Formats: sequence, C-alpha cells, structure tokens
Amino acid sequence: MSEELDEVYGQLVTSSWKRFEENLHNGQVDDLFVGAVITSMVATGNTLIDLTSDGSAHHLRFQHAQGGERLLFQLRHLTPDPVRSKALGHVASVHIGYGEKVSDARTVWQTLKSEVKSGYLDVGEPGVMTVDAELETGYVYVQVELLLDLDPYLPGEYKVDYDLLQQHLSGVRQALAKYLHGRLAAA
Amino acid sequence: MLNLISKFNNSAEARESKDEVLIGEVVFAMAHLGCPSIGFHAGMDLQYVKFKPVGNNVLHTVTVLLDRKTGDSVLQQAVVGSKATLTIVGEVKNHFSDPDDLVNMFRTDLANVFRNPWLGKVKLDHQLNSVTATKKQIIDIDDLTTPPEGRTRLNELLRGVLSELHENLATYKK
Repeated sequence: MSEELDEVYGQLVTSSWKRFEENLHNGQVDDLFVGAVITSMVATGNTLIDLTSDGSAHHLRFQHAQGGERLLFQLRHLTPDPVRSKALGHVASVHIGYGEKVSDARTVWQTLKSEVKSGYLDVGEPGVMTVDAELETGYVYVQVELLLDLDPYLPGEYKVDYDLLQQHLSGVRQALAKYLHGRLAAA
Repeated sequence: MLNLISKFNNSAEARESKDEVLIGEVVFAMAHLGCPSIGFHAGMDLQYVKFKPVGNNVLHTVTVLLDRKTGDSVLQQAVVGSKATLTIVGEVKNHFSDPDDLVNMFRTDLANVFRNPWLGKVKLDHQLNSVTATKKQIIDIDDLTTPPEGRTRLNELLRGVLSELHENLATYKK
C-alpha cells in the first residue's frame, strides 16, 4: 500500500464530487426559482393555497389576503441537464394566470370563451392571453405563457435577485389584470 | 386553452389549503434565515421541502416535512382542529476521500449513534456518508399561520430547531 495511490484515489473522489455537485445544482435550479416565487408572493401579501410538484413540473396557486385575487403559476424547467443548460442557460416554460371572483362566472365564461373556435390555432405562443374559468369557485382567469431565462433571477449559486423577480411578477400581473378587466367590461 | 386551471386540485376552500399556507410561510421564513429551497414534494397528505443552509459549515441540507393528521371537512376541523406533525431533518454530509477516515467514522461516531440515537428529543441516524438529526413535533397550523403573530411564532420555531440540529450534528462534521 502506498500513500501515492491513496492520494490518487482521493483526487478521483474530489473531482467526482465537483461533477456531482454541478449536476445536482443544475437539477435544483427550478426548485430554487419556485421557492423564490413563493417567497416573493408571500412577501407581497399573498397566501399559497395550492402546491403540486412532481419534481419536473411545479404548480402554485396564490390568493391575495385582502383583495382575494388569485395568481396561478406553473413552471417546467426546459434545460435540466448540464449540456443544454451550458449551451442555452436555464430556461423555463412558465404559465401565469390571474383571476378574480365574478358574480355570474358561468355567463361571463360562456361569453368570453367564444374567442377560441378553432382547434388548429396555437394559443401556446408567448404573450397570447386566453381566458378560462373555475366555475365551482366563481373565478375567471386570464393566462399567458412565457419562456423565461432563469439565470438573471439567480445571479449566483443559491442567490436570488428578489427585486428583479418581484418587478417581473408585478409586470405580468398588471398586464393580465388589465386584459381581464377590459374583457369583463366588454362582456 | 392552456388548461392551467385543470392542473390544480381545486382545494379552493381556505380550510383545505392550510397545509399549503403553512408550506408557503415556511418557504418564506427559511429564505429569510438564509436557506433557499432546493427540492419540493407535494402530495395529497405529505408535503416536504428541502432547503440549502447557505454558508452553514455543518448542515448540508434541512428538510421540513408536514404530515397533516386531520381531515379537511368542517366537522373534523371542529373536533380535532388543524393539528399536524412537523418534522425537521438536518443533514451532515462528509465528503471522505480517504478509506482510513471512513473506517474511523464507522468505529467511533457511527457506533455512538447506534448505541444512543436520542439526544433529548432529537433522533440521530446515519446512512452511508450522511448523519441526520430529526426533530418531530405536533403543531397547530392555525397558531403558525394566523397573522401577524403566527409568522413570528413560526420564525422562532424554525430558528430554534435549526440551532438545535446544528448543535447536535456539529460533532459529526469532519
């Protein structure tokens, strides 16, 4: 037994840990971002009322403590493997929905849903807003899909730029609310 | 349509969402304690979130598990309240690269864990290169989520348990 061989083994384990942690952190980026979204939303007076996560897709629902407006948030990490994330950065498909309780949701929904008549139309393009309703609870929602670069929100290992995240969430919320109010007024 | 709504369980009533409300508050509190989330599991009756204690030289991860003991119905709420089991697990991970160190760890530290796994109300355990300390407690979700005192109580609880787990695990970090 030689000390030199012990050292060789030690170096192999150390370099393996480096690779292992790189891969591990890569797979945790979506969870880190989801936690940052929860933290930002709770900090701005919202309550988390639904959380479903199967490891790859995360679904969150918040309700504002005072106004009762709801925000739906769905995230799917598109670059969980290190090769793709090194080439493209961390990219996620994010669906955000904004909803308000309306007095006659069924009638409102019937009026609004006539906007999509063709199954061939691709409504999953970024920035396209669609309306949906949850008739059991009386909420009508406007939703949009975005493709987000996660790296600017996560500027370092386990660091979060909460100011940027809050600004972007508020921007999306305001746009969706504006569209919903406009459609409700016209319905 | 994007079918975003269909992804949710429609547990729209506040009483059905108590677990989620607490999980949201835990994520918020842990972020302020320097522990961002790195893993989520959210099933029907068991939810857990894994956190990274950034800059902590002992704890590798902390996992918070919420196991709801009562049902969601109005009747069950009235009879039992909103009791749940909150389990917090601290993990120390040792990156051994010398087989002699591994053998020593099994002879000393881990043998001690086998002999006496309880340190007060904290249970110690080990698995491969990890040593874990687990603290389990029955909580009332309402006590920890009712504003504004609930947030303060939850913060104190988490801060206290993290400090206890850190203290109990420090000796196992090599």
